[in-house]
Amino acid sequence: MKLKAIIEDREQELNVRIDGGRVHAEVGGRVYDLELREPEPGCYLFLRNAAVHECRVSESHEAIDVSLHERNYAVTIVDPKRLRVGSDAHGHQHGLAEITAPMPGKVVRVQIETGATVEKGSGIVVVEAMKMQNEMKSPRKGVVVSINVKPGDTVNAGDVLAVVE
Amino acid sequence: MFRKVLIANRGEIAVRIIRGCRELGIKAVAIYSEADGESLHVRAADEAVCVGPASSSQSYLNIDAIIAAANSVNAEAIHPGYGFLAENADFARAVSAAGLTFIGPSAEAMDLMGSKTSARRVAVESGVPIVPGTVDALSSFAEARDTAEEFGYPVMLKAAAGGGGKGMRLVTSSDELRSAFETAQTEAAAAFGDSALYLEKAVERPRHIEIQIFGDSHGNVVHLGERECSIQRRHQKVIEECPSPINDPDLRRRMGDAAVKIGQTVNYTGAGTVEFLLSDATHEFYFLEMNTRLQVEHPVTELVTGFDLVREQFRVAAGEALSFTQDDVRWVGHAIECRIYAEDPANNFFPSPGTITYLREPSGPGIRIDSGVASRSEVSIHYDPMIAKLAVWGRTREEAIERLRRALDEYHVSGITTTLSFFREVARDAEFVEGKLDTGFIARFNERRTVEDPPEEHVDLAMIAAAIHHSRNQQPVFLQTGSVSASDGRWKMAGRADGLRRWRKS
Repeated sequence: MKLKAIIEDREQELNVRIDGGRVHAEVGGRVYDLELREPEPGCYLFLRNAAVHECRVSESHEAIDVSLHERNYAVTIVDPKRLRVGSDAHGHQHGLAEITAPMPGKVVRVQIETGATVEKGSGIVVVEAMKMQNEMKSPRKGVVVSINVKPGDTVNAGDVLAVVE
Repeated sequence: MFRKVLIANRGEIAVRIIRGCRELGIKAVAIYSEADGESLHVRAADEAVCVGPASSSQSYLNIDAIIAAANSVNAEAIHPGYGFLAENADFARAVSAAGLTFIGPSAEAMDLMGSKTSARRVAVESGVPIVPGTVDALSSFAEARDTAEEFGYPVMLKAAAGGGGKGMRLVTSSDELRSAFETAQTEAAAAFGDSALYLEKAVERPRHIEIQIFGDSHGNVVHLGERECSIQRRHQKVIEECPSPINDPDLRRRMGDAAVKIGQTVNYTGAGTVEFLLSDATHEFYFLEMNTRLQVEHPVTELVTGFDLVREQFRVAAGEALSFTQDDVRWVGHAIECRIYAEDPANNFFPSPGTITYLREPSGPGIRIDSGVASRSEVSIHYDPMIAKLAVWGRTREEAIERLRRALDEYHVSGITTTLSFFREVARDAEFVEGKLDTGFIARFNERRTVEDPPEEHVDLAMIAAAIHHSRNQQPVFLQTGSVSASDGRWKMAGRADGLRRWRKS
């Protein structure tokens, strides 16, 4: 199968053929001939010239998370046959920075008003989650173009709290 | 000895105490909230009683429900663990009033040491030095501002009823004070039901060193040496060790004596910890606070001294004398503990709750795991995000660090983000290896840390594994741009930048 893999904003052409207990793969011109074992679901054990590589794979909402040799890789697989590449609905508009809630919580304080000028690192909104208060800071210098929450609001992970331009 | 004990806690500490019960032939009763019915501590117990809904204020902090639970199963004693009600003197009194034994110090000792302001008075009475600060709670922001000016910045705001870093803020200049004051008040009110704050002069480059003490009802108070707890984030410990890398027998004796004096002043019984700030430059130490409970990091003391602190707690609560004297205490080797949190080190240690899809814990020589989770466990947003503690022992600090690296590499947790990756880097950090520790360690570590590129082969294999996994579960996977969101911390950005650079080279 021919696929595209994305790690860290970069795309890589990938050609993988599974043949019984062996995998033949080509990644960006590099050829891999691997022995494949699957001791349990979500575990892919590769042997390459006797070297052992144990991959633990789990799926999160946005990518396939692979853990290999104490590192984690968030890999997005794109199947060209199944997708019109280029329909990127989530593209961020240039010049806008969204401050999003990293997890569910409650807005405790809004520290700034729409239209205010902020520095990089200025506190915008304080969200409480798991008994900790966390100050969401502006990732850049700019003007606050919108604040979408008020104190007492419950927010979910990924909710846009404010936008800085 | 007790026949049946109720453990008024959850997570790893409940499991730890249940283990102590098992060894002593005591029946262990767990309590649980509606969110915790399948938790490990329930599965480990002999009996379990639901005490209320998920919210801890209605379950693990619900004194009436917990005492009713103890009565319903005819438990004789209640072990509070740490956190929740462990340092709540009213709970201790309610337990006694119900005719049960509270496994911990007397309510009077908890009252004296529980409030930081009265604890400081006890320290002064005991002849133990304290950091300059307000003896009484601040009455207003204006008083905080004036006191801060008087001491000079930096200053530390702390919750009078507090602990665990909640309601605590370091303030480096006057324009930060108001926001810090308000945040600390809100946090203190939420965490302890008491918004009272006090203010201290901040000691620069301080080491956080604490002394484990133990008292019994026969007048004995002993110490079990120090724990170095300087590596902290948000004023919460993440790595602890025993002995301290700067330990010498004289310093240990002086700090131990000071801690024992405080214990004697309040007729302390059971396990307690006297925390000190120690100036790295002068080795002068100041009393900080006392924790009137078993500490999270008690395993490092157990590994180095060989004593089982939970077992001693049961003994002392049952009215027996301690099983050892000060002269019996010896310190052998070196132990280090890492607190494994469900937090994202790449995002300012923000909590990362979720379901653990896979778990493999390390084992082998010198390894101890105190875990509150199992495979498929749910790490809930309702409670503290610490899922386990990894403690290692070696004959020397060097051997302990080598074991720590090996154990961290063996440790696999999937489904949630944990602090394991952070510990792997710290365990290889030159300053950590040299024992150059103070409470600013993590901030400096974040400045100097560099992300090494993974070998190209590993990146390729990760993609191949993802592709195979994708082909096994043919579900559409949509393209998502990996733009750096505003909430990303420096680490993730650095990681991504490195990834980009790497790819451009190839």
